[in-house]
Amino acid sequence: MKVGIPGGLLYYRYGRLWNSFLRALGAEVVESGQTTRSILTSGVSKAENESCLAVKVFYGHVLALQDKVDALFVPRLVSVKKRTHTCPKMLGLPDMARAATGDGSTIISPTIDFQSGLWHNYKAVYSLGRIFTSNPLRIIGAGIKAWREHRLYLERLTLGLDHKSALEGEAGSLLCEGRELRIGVIGHHYNVYDTFTTMSLLERLGGMGVDAVTADMVPEKLRDEELKRLPKDIYWSYEQEVAGAILACSRHRLVDGIIFMISFPCGPDSIIRVLCEQENKAIGNVPMLTLVMDEHTGEGGFLTRIEAFVDMLRRRKVRNEEPREAIAV
Amino acid sequence: MKISWPHMGSLEFVMGSVFEEMGVDYVLPPPNSQRTLELGARHGPEFACFPLKTTLGNFIEAIEKGADTLIMVAGRGPCRFGYYAETQRRILEEAGYDFRMVPLEFEPAKIPATLRRLHDLKQGRSWLSLYRAIKFALNKAYLIDRLERQALHQRYLDREKGATTAALKRCYALVWDAGSYAALDGIEEEAFAIMHSVPRVEREEVKIGIVGEFYLVLEPFFNLNVEEQLGNLGAYVERNIYLTDWLRPSGERPVLGHREHASELLAMAYLTHKVGGEGIFSVGDTVLFHNQGFDGVVQLMPFTCMPETIAKSILPLVSRDLGIPVLSVVIDEMTGRAGVATRLEAFTDLARFRRRAHGREADLTLQPAF
Repeated sequence: MKVGIPGGLLYYRYGRLWNSFLRALGAEVVESGQTTRSILTSGVSKAENESCLAVKVFYGHVLALQDKVDALFVPRLVSVKKRTHTCPKMLGLPDMARAATGDGSTIISPTIDFQSGLWHNYKAVYSLGRIFTSNPLRIIGAGIKAWREHRLYLERLTLGLDHKSALEGEAGSLLCEGRELRIGVIGHHYNVYDTFTTMSLLERLGGMGVDAVTADMVPEKLRDEELKRLPKDIYWSYEQEVAGAILACSRHRLVDGIIFMISFPCGPDSIIRVLCEQENKAIGNVPMLTLVMDEHTGEGGFLTRIEAFVDMLRRRKVRNEEPREAIAV
Repeated sequence: MKISWPHMGSLEFVMGSVFEEMGVDYVLPPPNSQRTLELGARHGPEFACFPLKTTLGNFIEAIEKGADTLIMVAGRGPCRFGYYAETQRRILEEAGYDFRMVPLEFEPAKIPATLRRLHDLKQGRSWLSLYRAIKFALNKAYLIDRLERQALHQRYLDREKGATTAALKRCYALVWDAGSYAALDGIEEEAFAIMHSVPRVEREEVKIGIVGEFYLVLEPFFNLNVEEQLGNLGAYVERNIYLTDWLRPSGERPVLGHREHASELLAMAYLTHKVGGEGIFSVGDTVLFHNQGFDGVVQLMPFTCMPETIAKSILPLVSRDLGIPVLSVVIDEMTGRAGVATRLEAFTDLARFRRRAHGREADLTLQPAF
């Protein structure tokens, strides 16, 4: 059976896990690969106007795959942590994928929900395995193997390997090499690691001689500490990571500047943005640039803002290191 | 302490009645206006959903009128609404307003905190009087909902356009002036008599259902009076949400006499999981309206509303399968009145031609109210 994994949204987090699990079960896995101009265009033409850029890209990936495979793999992640939800769009994703293909493709969508307990999730994964094989040991083996690879992949991201080499398990360039300037590029996985919609921001920063820190590289302990300070807890799992990372970077001066990547019109981000901007201002350590991307974002305008931000940070750094009198002149 | 709250349809009658009964000081925010919207859009985050901006505008106008305690419901659904209170508190504080935000949360773990907040709000009045005031107000709300439903059902028969709306306004005043719980029965009779006395003419009917996000469905100013417009275009209108569905503690929502669960089951064929907000009901109720012989469904949603965006991307599939026309109207601060009016007009015509073509006769007897 040929199974397609669309390379959008949560693929940037669980792609490795899904791929190795399905492969270990004996399925032939087809991935839609990197986002391209044509994928984006077909996604935009099919998706709702009001969807966020990431969902439009996801639609494009679904459309690119639908004729090549027997079934599409679009899991429904309701909650990945106790007492949190993912974004509503993740909850409806399999149904939206079905609507995108016009009811034309089979969609495999196990429901993962940590609010209803671990046992429920094991059952969901097991019944997913039963589609491909009737051997329970093989399913369990595949599960363990995939989970190990997933942990490794996350660890590589934590170490600061760039996304492509982390996914393929090769040695690659590091995002953070100890250069003079360090910028936190923080946002959802699919907003930060997608090289097409972000116009290879991470790579370009490297080219400018700047280190990049992603939300994965901020220690979880620091992130959780920040979340505990908030007067009302954030109930979206991935927003917790984003907000925690931004505030931790800011409070502990882990970086010289923060770029907050948002895809227009992301619902949770619009709320978290207010919170992060205010808290960051109150802490007052680190400047923050909020970049909102959509399908119309032009490369020129995008780069100009990044360059200006980097220049500003450079000057700020130099000025802070020089003795006070020098500035007075 | 002067309490205030944001507008949402006839919510002002309910909340106002509670505080009036209790003898607690309150400020009614000025009615929704273009200024409300401008204030909200100026201070609100760029692509936060529309109700966040409008209620923010209400809060600002209420503070200007002297309110210092703002009530807002909070929660932890996947929808953004649960975080409104916190976000609005941050925005208003940064803008330099002086106030206290009281978020009321109704999930089990937060009940003690909510009770403490209610205790502060009632300022020494007894819990029994609060209970009585709420009971009285809820009964007023049920009555208002029944009257609104009556108006939706009969507006298309008006001899003179606007007669039903005028009658409804008189009924609102009657209900607002109700002196006691016991008087409500008499007022109900009187109000329905007013509604029934509106002169009618015979007209070919076309049935249109309204589904969508509850704030926009309930708030006539911001949904550009969609109900009234449809009624004036000659449509028998039914909507899937009434105020009390949302206020009622049990959370049961009878749509055309059906319960919430029925709607979820119907939605299952298209949307297999709850997506927060009214996403699943927008899909389920569309099927329900089709099964009840309606000729079209209008979906109302604020721009960037997450659950409704999902519903909107699935509704074309429903529409294709069942053959019921669905019009999604997305509303934000830039929405033009004329554009919506044109679309509603075209949609009503389409539904009417479709009805004629099908020659379908569905009975138009009034549904039992609640």
